[in-house]
Amino acid sequence: MKQKLLIIGAAIIATPFIMSFCGFYVSKADGTLKNKTSQVILVRDGNKNVITMYNDFKGDTKDFAMVVPIPVVLKKEDIKVVDQSIFQKLNDYSAPRLVEYWDQNPCYGYREDDKMAPMANKSLSEVVVSGYGNVRKKDAVKIEAQYLVGEYDILILSAKESSGLKDWLNENGYKIPADAEEVLDPYIKSNLKFFVVKVNEKEKKKLNSNFLRPIQIKFNSPKFMLPIRLGMANADGDQDLIVYAFSRKGHIECTNYRNTNIATDKNIPLFVQKNFGSFYGNLFTHQWNNENKAVAFLEYAWNVTPINQMKCDPCVGNPPTEQDLAQSGVWWLNGKDWTDYSDVDEDEMDNGSRNVHFTRLHFRYNRNSFAQDLMFQVTPNTENFQARYIITHPATGDLSCDAGKKYLQDLKARRKKELLQLTALTGTNINNWQDDATAKNDEDTVTEAQYATLLPEVKNESDNEKTLPGSMILLSAVILGSAGFMRWKGFV
Amino acid sequence: MFLQQLFKDARYFQILFQSIFLGYGILFLHWQAAWWLYSTYFITSITTQLVFEYFLGKKTFAYNKRIAFSFPSVIISSFGLSLLLKTNHVEIAALAAFISIASKFIIKIKGKHIFNPSALGIVTAIFLTDTAWFSPGQWGSGTAILFGVCCLGFIVVTRVQKLDISLAFLGTFAGLLFIRQIIYLGWPIDFFVQSISTGSLLLFSFFMITDPKTIPDNKWARIVWCIPIAVVAFYLTTFKFINGAPIVVLILAQPLVPLLDWLFKARRFQWTTSPKYNTTKNDFLLIVHTKSIM
Repeated sequence: MKQKLLIIGAAIIATPFIMSFCGFYVSKADGTLKNKTSQVILVRDGNKNVITMYNDFKGDTKDFAMVVPIPVVLKKEDIKVVDQSIFQKLNDYSAPRLVEYWDQNPCYGYREDDKMAPMANKSLSEVVVSGYGNVRKKDAVKIEAQYLVGEYDILILSAKESSGLKDWLNENGYKIPADAEEVLDPYIKSNLKFFVVKVNEKEKKKLNSNFLRPIQIKFNSPKFMLPIRLGMANADGDQDLIVYAFSRKGHIECTNYRNTNIATDKNIPLFVQKNFGSFYGNLFTHQWNNENKAVAFLEYAWNVTPINQMKCDPCVGNPPTEQDLAQSGVWWLNGKDWTDYSDVDEDEMDNGSRNVHFTRLHFRYNRNSFAQDLMFQVTPNTENFQARYIITHPATGDLSCDAGKKYLQDLKARRKKELLQLTALTGTNINNWQDDATAKNDEDTVTEAQYATLLPEVKNESDNEKTLPGSMILLSAVILGSAGFMRWKGFV
Repeated sequence: MFLQQLFKDARYFQILFQSIFLGYGILFLHWQAAWWLYSTYFITSITTQLVFEYFLGKKTFAYNKRIAFSFPSVIISSFGLSLLLKTNHVEIAALAAFISIASKFIIKIKGKHIFNPSALGIVTAIFLTDTAWFSPGQWGSGTAILFGVCCLGFIVVTRVQKLDISLAFLGTFAGLLFIRQIIYLGWPIDFFVQSISTGSLLLFSFFMITDPKTIPDNKWARIVWCIPIAVVAFYLTTFKFINGAPIVVLILAQPLVPLLDWLFKARRFQWTTSPKYNTTKNDFLLIVHTKSIM
């Protein structure tokens, strides 16, 4: 049974985001900016980095422009455009998944194999419309390099001071958000360069396609980071960012924000199947709030080395092939090396170092919770992880035998648990699921075990949400209080 | 009376706070509580201590008393590892715990061990095996309040712990970060707050660098010693992007401690209880209470 479902849920749709990945989009006209989930592929080994930035820009390409801070001046061969489809492949493969199981009727020997329903994750990407003017040199800004790569005109700028850069960008047709200067200055002083992109109309026409392809850059730098602060400059909401990261050693971890795993391996009611996207959207929002927002959620981690047999359990999309990995920027496969760089590591090609570990991290950031850019590290952690939710189809047929009666009791208890799990995971009131529970989906099940029947019983068992700051303050007070008490009593 | 006795030794407080941190991490920060990992640290540490004490311990008094006395230190080291070091491999965890404890018996000068046990275990496991790692991000920054309160409570209650070194280290490190991030680069203040409120840094400043057995005995020597540690740690963190730099620098700086102890004469630190306890006729306690002069 194959079914494609939207993964980005209602909660996300309801929240207006203004999107930009890594850099910020600047607009000539103060147009309306649209929602977007940004996606980035990071490849890291040693000090070598490959970053691929997704571009789902729709609109007049004349209005497109992008600014990304980077640590070094790039050579032309370090910049390329890659096929858009790689993001969809990686997303489909690593997206949170729904797994289906079928109960066996205890009164017959009937059995059906475990199956699972694949999920297609569709991102709601929409790039912000931006403007780009004529390049005119100004003293404060130095054009370090200028390239034409694919359909893009690329400039690499360095600047001495932020106001100069800001003026330059403004004079060249970029409308810089007022807040951007706060970030430009620290970036300039940190010796970052600015990777500025616009679309070359002539080249674009040759392509005969509406899509702007993702740009991939590679460079050597000990800094392993994603500059998200610029992207916040023109945004006033929460922005989602999905990072697909590849390393030779193991998981990629965020070092300046807390890493946490999204809830997984949970049994949820059967009816969630129809609306899994909405379920996961609610779940993510709830967990994000519960974890105090400033967190990196791990959604997937697996060894995807091409020679490795077991790539997922179960697979929702095809595991990335060697070609997909190469496309993503994984350069250490198949004797390929970092050819465009002269300083190739000694250990580059050594024994069995063709391993590829895939990590999918999900951030939802805003200015208040994310004061710093995202810093990462490669860890030797090779543990597999997947966001996996389980639905179970009840046994059908006559359940009048003794074992069948027992089964029915168990089924009722299990389904109550599933309903409670649903509310706990998504932080929603059980009433919100009334429509789903009572809709036709369950008619094969004995009436007394139907979700619609069980719902009122579960309603009584309300969930008590504990708040994190409250418990922390309480704990702190207890510690201080007891310390003071002991001091007063002369115990210490 | 039992309570009184218990709180005479600052190490029990350290254990209390460390267990609060671990519990907090598991319960509230939803760490993937790796029970096998924690048990490996504890079991290996305790076993190593039992064996080494038997063969290499100073035979000044009975074995069981020596074990009883060193027990809290072993627990502290195990907690230190549990809080900071992660690995997927049992053998690496066991190795780290073994090195931690064994180093106390093997690497010592004039009866004082050189390296902070858990710091040495962490550094060897991370840099020599490449299969263990340190997660600076595991605490988030919301934890700062809890840490602040615990550290404060710890100091108020014990007074034994060397507050001077914590403040000198943290002051230097945070001061340099402030100059770099706020004054030089011009980041907003919350950028800086996030940098210094990470649990790992506070844990290091208040519970690792303060270990009285592995720092200079003289107060001024301590401060002179810890400021360069903070400077180098700042440099490695900011410009070389090395995670866990303070722990590495601490290990590199600890061989200097005997030299500083020799230059600046001071009373040797001993885990101790208050003087009124000296009245007991217990030979073990009497020996422990005697502060040797170098």
